[in-house]
This record gives sequence, C-alpha cells and structure tokens, in this order.
Amino acid sequence: MLIQYKIKQTINMASNKKYWKSVEELKENSSIVEKLKQKEFVEEIPADQFLGDKDTLDSSSTSRRDFLKYVGFSTAVASLAACEGPVIKSIPYVIKPDDITPGVAEYFATTIADGIDFANVLIKVREGRPIKIEPNKESSFGSTNARVQASVLSLYDNNRLKGPKAKGEAITWNKFDTEVLAKLNELKGNGEKIVFLTGTCASPSTSSLVKKFSEQYSNVAHVVYDAISESAALDAMKEMYGKRSLPDYDFSKAEVIVSVGADFLGDWQGGGFSTGYAKGRIPKNGKMSQHIQFESNMSLTGANADKRVMIKPSQQVNALIKLYQAIVSGVATREMSPLNTAIQDIAKQIKAAEGNAVVVTGIQDKNAQLLALQINKAIQSSVIDVVNTRNIRHGDDAKVTQLTADMKAGKIGAIITHNTNPAYTLPNAKEFTEALKKTKLSVSFAMSDNETTNASQYVAAIPHYLETWNDVLIKKGQYSLTQPTIHKLFDTRQFQETLLKWLGSNETYYDYLKGNWNNNILGGKSWNQALHDGTFSVSVANEENLVNDVDISAAGSALSKIKGSDLELTVYTKAGIGDGQQANNPWLQELPDPITRTTWDNYLLVSRIDAERLGLENRTVDNGALNGDMVNITANGVTIEKVPVYIQPGQAPGSIALALGYGEKGLQEEMSIGVNAFPFAKGIFHNASIEKVSGEHEFACVQLQHTIMGREGEITKETTLADFVSKPKDEWNSPPKFSLDHQEVTQDKVDLWEKFDDLGTRFNLSIDLATCTGCAACVIACHAENNVPVVGKHEIRVSRDMHWMRIDRYYSSDMTVEKGKEEGIFGTGDFFNAQIQPSDAPEVSFQPVMCQHCNHAPCETVCPVAATSHGLQGQNQMAYNRCVGTRYCANNCPYRVRRFNWFKYFDNNEFDFNMNNDLGRMVLNPDVVVRSRGVMEKCSMCIQMTQLTILNAKKEGRPVADGEFQTACSNACPTDAIVFGDVNDKISKVAQLEKDDRSFKLLDFVGTKPNVFYQLKVKNTKEA
Amino acid sequence: MSHYEAPIREPIILGDKTYHDISNDIAAPIEGKANTWWWVVFSIASFALLWGIGAIAYTIGTGIGVWGLNNKINWAWDITNFVWWVGIGHAGTLISAVLLLFRQKWRMGINRSAEAMTIFAVIQAAIFPVIHMGRVWNAYWVMPIPNQFGSLWTNFNSPLLWDVFAISTYLSVSLVFWYTGLLPDFAMIRDRATKPFQKKIYSLLSFGWSGTAKDWQRFEEVSLVLAGLATPLVLSVHTIVSFDFATSVIPGWHSTIYPPYFVAGAVFSGFAMVQTLLIIMRKVSNLEDYITRLHIENMNKVILLTGGIVMVAYLSEFFVGWYSGSSYEDFTYLSVGAATGPYWWAFWILIFCNGIFPQLLWFKKLRTNFTVSFIMAILINIGMWFERFDIIVINLSRGHLPSTWAQFSPTFVDIGIYIGTIGFFFVLFLLYARTFPVVAQAEVKSILKASGDGYKRARNNK
Repeated sequence: MLIQYKIKQTINMASNKKYWKSVEELKENSSIVEKLKQKEFVEEIPADQFLGDKDTLDSSSTSRRDFLKYVGFSTAVASLAACEGPVIKSIPYVIKPDDITPGVAEYFATTIADGIDFANVLIKVREGRPIKIEPNKESSFGSTNARVQASVLSLYDNNRLKGPKAKGEAITWNKFDTEVLAKLNELKGNGEKIVFLTGTCASPSTSSLVKKFSEQYSNVAHVVYDAISESAALDAMKEMYGKRSLPDYDFSKAEVIVSVGADFLGDWQGGGFSTGYAKGRIPKNGKMSQHIQFESNMSLTGANADKRVMIKPSQQVNALIKLYQAIVSGVATREMSPLNTAIQDIAKQIKAAEGNAVVVTGIQDKNAQLLALQINKAIQSSVIDVVNTRNIRHGDDAKVTQLTADMKAGKIGAIITHNTNPAYTLPNAKEFTEALKKTKLSVSFAMSDNETTNASQYVAAIPHYLETWNDVLIKKGQYSLTQPTIHKLFDTRQFQETLLKWLGSNETYYDYLKGNWNNNILGGKSWNQALHDGTFSVSVANEENLVNDVDISAAGSALSKIKGSDLELTVYTKAGIGDGQQANNPWLQELPDPITRTTWDNYLLVSRIDAERLGLENRTVDNGALNGDMVNITANGVTIEKVPVYIQPGQAPGSIALALGYGEKGLQEEMSIGVNAFPFAKGIFHNASIEKVSGEHEFACVQLQHTIMGREGEITKETTLADFVSKPKDEWNSPPKFSLDHQEVTQDKVDLWEKFDDLGTRFNLSIDLATCTGCAACVIACHAENNVPVVGKHEIRVSRDMHWMRIDRYYSSDMTVEKGKEEGIFGTGDFFNAQIQPSDAPEVSFQPVMCQHCNHAPCETVCPVAATSHGLQGQNQMAYNRCVGTRYCANNCPYRVRRFNWFKYFDNNEFDFNMNNDLGRMVLNPDVVVRSRGVMEKCSMCIQMTQLTILNAKKEGRPVADGEFQTACSNACPTDAIVFGDVNDKISKVAQLEKDDRSFKLLDFVGTKPNVFYQLKVKNTKEA
Repeated sequence: MSHYEAPIREPIILGDKTYHDISNDIAAPIEGKANTWWWVVFSIASFALLWGIGAIAYTIGTGIGVWGLNNKINWAWDITNFVWWVGIGHAGTLISAVLLLFRQKWRMGINRSAEAMTIFAVIQAAIFPVIHMGRVWNAYWVMPIPNQFGSLWTNFNSPLLWDVFAISTYLSVSLVFWYTGLLPDFAMIRDRATKPFQKKIYSLLSFGWSGTAKDWQRFEEVSLVLAGLATPLVLSVHTIVSFDFATSVIPGWHSTIYPPYFVAGAVFSGFAMVQTLLIIMRKVSNLEDYITRLHIENMNKVILLTGGIVMVAYLSEFFVGWYSGSSYEDFTYLSVGAATGPYWWAFWILIFCNGIFPQLLWFKKLRTNFTVSFIMAILINIGMWFERFDIIVINLSRGHLPSTWAQFSPTFVDIGIYIGTIGFFFVLFLLYARTFPVVAQAEVKSILKASGDGYKRARNNK
C-alpha cells in the first residue's frame, strides 16, 4: 500500500514539475524542439555503411540474431553449470512397502553356517539393509562370537565378486552354465570323476542336491574339508561310536573340567561351549566347577582356567596318557615330577566328581581323541553327549590328501569347490594348486577372489549368507533355516541354485528347500513358523549308541611313541580372524586379540625363556608402541620368512605358536598382513627351527602394560572359592575406607557432591568377571551398533584405538608386595620395575571397560562448554555437536574410556575402510550419528536402544519388562556376563546383582560413583 | 623529585648520564637504523613464525591427529607450551607492579622490556588453548556469549573456562599498565621526531601527553592503581592455570600444592626469560649503563628465591607421594613413572636445570657474571619447560588403570608449532625494540639524581 501511494505521489509531482534540457525548450513552437521530438538521434545513424554492404553481410556467418542467441545461451548455461544441485541417492517410498516403516527396524531369524561359525542369529534390518547381528536367544545355538557379529560387514565388502568369471574374464551366467555344462557332460561321457570339494555345510537340502547330482552324473564324489580341521576327533568318533560327527558337551553339568590342549572357549570343535561353561563358574551353594587346563600357548580357555599347567604339545600327549592310566587303568605312575603329581591329583578329583567331570583334548591325533573319549566313557561323564552329536565339522583330512594325489595323477576330471579355499588353507596348498591345473574342469564358488579362484577356470560368484536361502543341521535334531534379508547386491547365484540349474531343474532353491522341509523334516508342522523361528527341533529317540570295541592300548602305545623336540610349533586360531575367510573385514582386523591385545597382525608366540636363549626381543619405542624382532621359521619342509616375534607370558618354553588366517592373497591392501600359517596346520605339532633375521616389526597393540601393578584391590577383584564360602565379605570384597577425623569411614561420609535425583529409570550395567571369558563378541557388537570407525594399524599403534569398549587383560607378576618386603626392595624403583614384568606362568584376568557412566563424573565438571553432562537416566551423555575438542574430559577420566576423533574417519582416503565407500556405509546404524573430526566420543549406554524400548512400552501403555532394556554388549554376550537394566526397578536382575556380595565398582575410592559395576571373579583352587 | 639514596648502595645508572643523555640513548634505536644482526635475527624469527603458521594451518586443515597425542595422553606439547609461555609472562607484571609497590627503584631499568615480554609471551600462550581444540572454528563457544542455541551456556565449573577469564584479564590489565607507562616516553619520542610521519604516529600513541604537573599527577595515580590491580593477578593467573591440574582426579595432578608451586615456578621462569632477553639487549641496544650488573644480580636473587620455593615444592610432592602410601602416587613421583621410567631423562633435566644448577647463584661471583647468568637463564627456561612436560605427560602416561599406560612422542608438527611461537615472540620483541622506548626513560630520569653514578660520586665527594 505504502509503495503504491508513493508511486502515485511521484506521478502527480511529475505532472506539476517540468524539466528542461535547454533554453530552446522554453520557446514555444521551436523548430529544434519539434525536430528532436520526431527524431531520437540527431545525427544520421550510418546503418547503411555496415548493413548496406551486402557482400560483408553475406560473408559473415553469424548474424546479429545468432550472436545474441549465443550470448544468451552461453550466459544461461554458464550460470546453470555453476549451481549444480546435490545428487541425493536416496529414493523415497512413493508406494510404501507393507512391511517396511522407515525408521522402524525389522528382525529376521536366520542362521550363519560359513564352515567355521555356526549360530542361530537375528538380523536387524533397517529400510531393507541388514545392519546388525543379534544372537537368537530362543534357539539352542543362539550365541554369537566376534566373527558372527562382524559378518554383517562382510556382506558390504567392496572386495566381493560382482559376477561369474571364466579364466579371469567376466561372463554372463548363461554362458557360464552352457560352458560348464558342456564340459560336465563331456566328462560324464568319458566317465571321468567329478569331485565336489566343500567346507562343512551341514545342510540337509544341499546334501540331497549333491546326491541328486551324483545320481545324474554317476562318477561323483563329495569331499568335505575344513580349514580348521577336527578330522582326528571325527575319526575317533567313527572308530568308537561308528559315526563321523562330533560329540556335544554340556559344561554346565561339569564339576571338574580337564582340558588337554583344547581351546573350548575358542574354536575347538566348532566352539559355542562358553554359555554352558559360564553357568558353572558362578558359585552356587558353595559349589562351582573346577577347570584345569594343560596347554602350550596361552589360549582364551587357559586364561580362564582355575589351574593352568604350561606344557609343550609333546608333553600334553604324555599328560593325556598318564591321565588315562590314572583314571581308566588305575595305574598311578610314581614318577616324582610336578606334572605327574598334578595329574594324579586331578585323577582323584575326577573320580570324586562321580561322572560330573569331563576330559577334553585338542590334540590333533585320532589316538589322543580316542583316549579322551575312553576316559569320558569310563567315568560315565554326564557332560559329553555322544548320541546327539554336532554336525558342524565333517572335514576328512585323509580324503583331501587322497584327492590331491588323485588330481596330481590326473584321475580327477572336474573339481568344484564351494565354501572353501584349499589353495590357501591346505598345508600343501602349492601342490594342490599345481594339481588343480591338471583337472579338465575347475569351478570355484566363492564370495571374493582368492587363491583357489585364481587357480580355477571358472569362478561362480556366490552371495553372502544374508542374501541366501539354506538350511543347517547344527546338531542332531536341531534344524535351522537361513533366509535372505536383503536382495542380492551383486550378480551372484548361490551354489545350490546353480546345482539346480545344472540338474536341468526350473525350480528355485527356495522351492526346493521348502519342499524338502515339508516332505522330510517338518512332519506336518508349519513352514512359516519354522522360518519365523529360524530353528526347528525334532525330538530324537534316545537311541543307544553302537559302541565299538576299540583297542585303546594300541592307541596309547602309538601315542607314547611320539617324540618331542626342542622347539614344537603349533598353530591356533584367533577370536577375530579365525580361519581367515573374513580377513577382509576391517572390524575383525582391528579387534584386539583377547590375549595379546594386538591388532592387525599375526606373529610367532615365543616364551621369554626361548626368546632370551635365541636372542629375540620385544622393545618399546619412544611413542610407547611395541617393536619386535623377526625370524624365519622352518618346519614341515617349509620356511616362512620374516615372521615377527611376540614374547608371550604363559607360553610353554620349548613351544612356539602362530595364528592361522593371515597372509591371504587378494585382500584390500590394508588387510593384506601377516604370514600364512596353514603350511604348519596339520598334525599335533611340528619340529621347528627358527633363525633370527634382520629387521624390526612394528606391532599395533592396544595395551602396553600387562600387569596390574599391585592394584588388584581397586581394579579387578578376585577371590578363591574357599575364601568366598567361608570368610566374611569384607575380607575378599572390602569397600574403600576413608579417614575422617581420624576415624575410618565409608565413602558416603566423605562425599563432596550432592546426589542426583534418583527418580524413574536409572540404568546400570553389571559385568561379571567370573563368567566373562574375554571372547570380545561385545567389542564387535558395540562397533557395529555405534558406528565406531576403523582407524587402521598405524593409529592403533599410536594408541588411538576408537573402540568404545575394551577388554583389559592383566597378567599376574611374580613380584608381590610381600615378596618385595621380604627382599627389602618394596617401594623402590627396582620393586616397580619387577612388578612391571609379567610372570612366566601368569594367572590372567579379563575386565571389560567402557564408559562407567559416573554419577559424579570427572569429565562433566571440566568441559568448558558443557558438552558432556549427566543424563536423567544415569548416563553420562556426550553432545557431539557441542564439543569443541579440548580433550580435558579424556584426561580427567580415570578409566580412559573417551575416544577422540583425531582425524575425519569417514570419506577420507587415508582411512580406506567401510566408512569410505558407498557399499561399506550401508552397514551404518541410522540411529547413531557418525562423529565428525575434532569431537570426543564414548560409550552412550546404547541410548538409542533404551529410548526405543521406553517409547515402545509407552506406545503399548505398559511398564518396561525386565530384560527388555539391552545394550549392544549385553545382548551380544554369550555368557550373560553383561547384564543391563533399570536399577530402580527393584525386581530387575541388575538391581539384584547390584546388591550381590560379589559386586564392586572400578576404582571405587576415586568417588566417581559409576553406574557400571562388576562382579568379582571366584577361582576354584581346591586341591584333591 | 629526587630522593636520597644511601652512598653504600650501588648506583643504578652508570656512565655519568645527564637527562639529555638518557633521552638520546633511549631514542637511539628508534631514530637510527637497524644493524645487520637485527636483520639476521629478525629473518630467522620470521622464518620460524612462518613455519609455525604452516604447522598450525596443517593442524587445522587435517586434524589434531597430526600431533603426537593419543587417547591416553590427550595433552602434551600444546598445554606444556601454554603453561610455559604463561609462566614466562609472569615476570613483567611482578617487576612493574609488585616492585613498584615495594618501591624497588632498580626495576625502572628493566620494567618496560619485562612487561613487553609479558604481553608477547601471553599472546604466545593464548595461541595454544585455541589451536589445541579439535574444532577451532567453534572456539568462541568457550566465551559466555548469548546465543541462539537456547539454554546453551558455558560450564562455569570448568577450570578451562577460568583460564579463559584469567588469561584475558591478565592480558588486558598488563596491556593497559604497559601502555600507561609508555605515554610520557612516547611523548618524548614525539617531541624529538623530525620526520612528519613519525611525529604523527608518536603523537597519536602518546595520547596528547603534555608533561604538565597534572599529567604527571594522574600518571602516578593511575600507575599505582593499576599496580594494585595487577598484583593479585600475578598470583591469580598461574593459580588458575594450576587448577587445570589440581582440580582433576588424575594422580600427580590432583595436588593441593599446585597453586603456590605454579606461581613460584612462573616467576622463576619469567625472570629467567627476562634475564635471557636483557643480557642480549643491553649489548645490542647499548643499554649497558641502564641494565647493569646490579639488575642482573637482583634478578638472580629473585631466581634463587623462587627456584628454592620450586625445589621445596618438588621435594614435598615426592614426600607426600611416598607418605600417602598410595601406589598411584608412588608411581607418578618416585619410581618408574618419573625417575626411572621411560621419561627418566625429562625428569632429570627438570631436577638438574631447576633444582641443582640454580644453586650456583649462591656465589656472588657467579650471580654477577653475565655469561653465567645467561647460561643459567637458558637452563632454567629449558628446565621449566620440562617441568610442565613432566607434569602433563608423565602423569597422563601412568594413569589409574595400568592397561591404559601409554607414551607420547612429538611429531614435526608439535615441534613446528612450538618453534613457531618462539619465532612469533621474537618477531614481536624485535619490532618492539626498534619502535618503542625500551627503557622507561621518564622513570629512570626520576632517579638519575639519586642513583646515577655521576651524581652519587659528586654527592659522596662533597
């Protein structure tokens, strides 16, 4: 309105005012003025001069109009090009799929069976993307380890095969089928042998397909081969009980567990025993299991044992024989060695346990396995189950050896590998690779390029298990289903689908699978229900086992002929890398080994005594990182060069060990690390010689100080069963005392701070050190749930690991306060320097540490911008976008759990891991922000999960049930050592645990009042 | 104007100066041309500054990860340098304010440069808390600035916030104090200036100083008031800096002795830096008659005293560490953590440079020797840098949980930034030496008749 008015005014004024340009205008009827009115330009415009010349105009190719067009167009284009719109790669749901609500996760029950890990799992799917693996707790194999937890990232591996290949060139599936079928038919015509070489699939439907294939192609063999072989145990079972499958063990029933070299909390016989084991590790009615471990290299199992006897592999054989003699034959050897005394003592305890005892062995020898089976049979062990056996290892080493020989001899027409990489995992891989070239047809089904695909003529790209249909028979009567949770990312086709194609069937594998289940397994029960549950149990008639009469004495005498050597080399698997099939998974590479706390490496474990003898050293360099000497190892006719040496406390002198799964080819550069130990994989041990070579290896360790420095009372508390039962709590779990007016008082009397309101929900986390085995499944679960970045070897080396939770591992030291006082060095530098050294045969304790969510948090007071503050539900919260990055909070944290973003860890080629490519980023949890450079981050007690739980309960108008609150770590823990919940809910498990006598807080005397607390460890050190 | 000074006291101004001589001597560096050495040193300092700027730019562009820090040792050279520079910045105010209140006339020869040094050192110090932030671009969030983020406000519990206030207050008061003192001297330069541009500039800088009795009266009053204001700041700044550590829960940091210990240490290091600069400057700028053996000796006495306090603080820390019976304290002070641990060399540098060597100053012959004083000053500067390094790095490297023990080693960026600030400091100081009256000539003139050697001799011979 105002503007209009002003314009009007101007017009009016214009009519009144007159402007003149010259005096001439004032004259009326001036000719000049008239002339000017008629003509705009006073002078003639010489248009004729440049337009009149027709020749010039004709010769010019650009007219004025064209010129203006060009100017207009180029201006428009230039300005358009300058303002490029962002390319948004998300596509909105124009029509929303019925079962997907953006922002709401769906869970699917499925099963992982990749040949090494077998577990029933739940897959969390967000907007069609699987992002997290949870254990399926309603199933009997519903516990996950670190590798299972990390397998979701292997789905989004950039290294995966994107389609089938022939001789290294990409081809179509049609062409692939035609060519391979032609060859197969040709071989069939010639009657040549077709061999399937696969890892253990334990899949009934796959087996029946292979069987069908054999019927069609007559001369077909199926050889099963496991990289981590249990062939010896299987052969022993076959011999004694007539079936080639593994016994199951329920360690929860055991009062005495004796393990001779069996890492049963690790990967021994397929693993998965920790859940049962943990049940017996908490004293109930004054009783708990006793676990004795004989082993050479420090394993997870040995670290958890009540008593660990450190002996070389050859001595383990000896120990097993003696144990057998003492228990079964009743012959007590009167040899006066500490080992023998220990064995006689154990034999007495086993007998006293009356069947609630078990002897397991990891000695890779049929006779040794027979001995163990015989002992368990003799004591009528209730722990071992030889009727309902486990199918998760089938590999037959002898058959594979035969196969290689046959291939070499040219007896094999075609070899089809699936779910295995023999050209890498076989001890005689080179021989196999050579022999593979002699076959007329070689097809390798694989997820990514590896040694075997490189040597094969045809490579069939197979999908990840999260993209496939399948079934698994983990244990007799326990069927499981695998279902796809995402559409296939690449042009892949699963092995079974291909088999169906080759059989000429038009059926999909899904139809085949469903048909097979309906006809043979379900027995009329609902397929949908089975698919929903992920598992289906069939009650098996408790058939009596056929027991063969085995000549144990022959086995014993064969065993006793085994001669030890000066340096016995064994191989082992690590919690992270396992057999190496997920070696391209950066989460697993960055997972610190629970024992050595070293990442991104394998190394030769050597005892201090051997290291000193051979002049090998580990050194701490200026930035605190560890460097090690390197050696060449020669054993089994193979020399591996430049292997770094790691001096391992608890390594039996005279024994050395090397981890499997490293040194694989075809991985991303960052992941191509370590040396391949598979050449040493076969047998009990190898007589090795090592030779120091020049050069130094740089390790990346997350823990550089290994002993607890006499601070046990405040950090990891531990007691013995005897004390726990008979002594008052204050003697083995005393709260800190403070001096006030010369009186000893408890903490609440000296607290300077006001309490927070304790209303509503207050989250607490309880960690049981008695049942925590240190397996590190929680670390990976946390990594996946919270979008924790992978930072790579160098950053880990300079102590910049980003894991929100870690599992501290402490070794005991030979120097104690008492000993120091005795020697008169207590309080001196010598004393501390001695305390720093771990014992040669240490006791081990594990302690998971994440943000302790202190009620009186030191970090909160020091942040100048209040970026970290106390949550109403007890969390110590971190507001990333308020953080300016002074790092004062991290310095003032007594637990050192805060992690700083030293660099931008995503979209940065310096950190070329999953956050640096579109595929890898698909695994990110949309509920958790990816932190930017320069901010502090730490455990949030999975606030995104707890808030969701509260919201869901609110929507449904009900209180939150106990057990409903979970964090990633508590949910992943296979032994339920981590319990999370609302401590104000008095009936909740966590509230009960808080009041438990075993409960204590980490560094309680500092007065931080954490919302995380621990349950101390009880060791059963009872002697017979 | 003049007061009586006992004949037994040594003259403060040497060389039979007249008032005019003083004006000439002080104005000479401003009116004359710079010599080659000035240019050489200035070029080196500028180069170091450029290197520092490059290192800072690299840090801000890439991330704090280019430093040698880690998740266990989150501060090292950055805060070491910060505390070191702040400490150095203590001497100026102490000399000009505290000594003014105590009527120490000898301060007049050195207070101008000491204050300049203070200001330049505090500027260096202020760089570090800013650039050590992960997100420098949000550094203003530490100021209580009203904002659009609702209830977001600074955390007044945080010692870092106290630092912000302490340092900014100290810097502003020091600056005002310094500038007030400069007014009559600028006026003197203005009055002598012949070049119109120079005259214009110094006219502006001298705020129209006319030298009337009223001017002088106000000048004296303001000086006294500012001295009164600045004196508590001498104590407060480093007390508050020490709170960064003392209020924490980290063994070795959590210590009630820190405030007095830090203040003494700061004066100690500040005087050492004044010594370093003035011993050079009296030669280069021909100020031997104004900055005399007496000045150096007096400063050495302060160094000896504050060094003694620092040493007592060390000893009591070690004693308390041992007496507490706490294994955490034992570690930081007594054993592997410090004296025999991975940082044993840093620990012993500290003990020797701060504790042992300064004891030589008990000998009059040594403390009146320019060369010895200069070397001593350099050693103390090194020792005090290591004191802060030891406090920060050793204690962080040996925390509560042994599993988190780690070590630190600097990268070229850490070193580059430190050298850069030294360069920046010298660039500022060299420019100051060429453009400012480096001795408070008006004040010096006020004691000429009492403490000038010519006048004293004449009086004594009467």
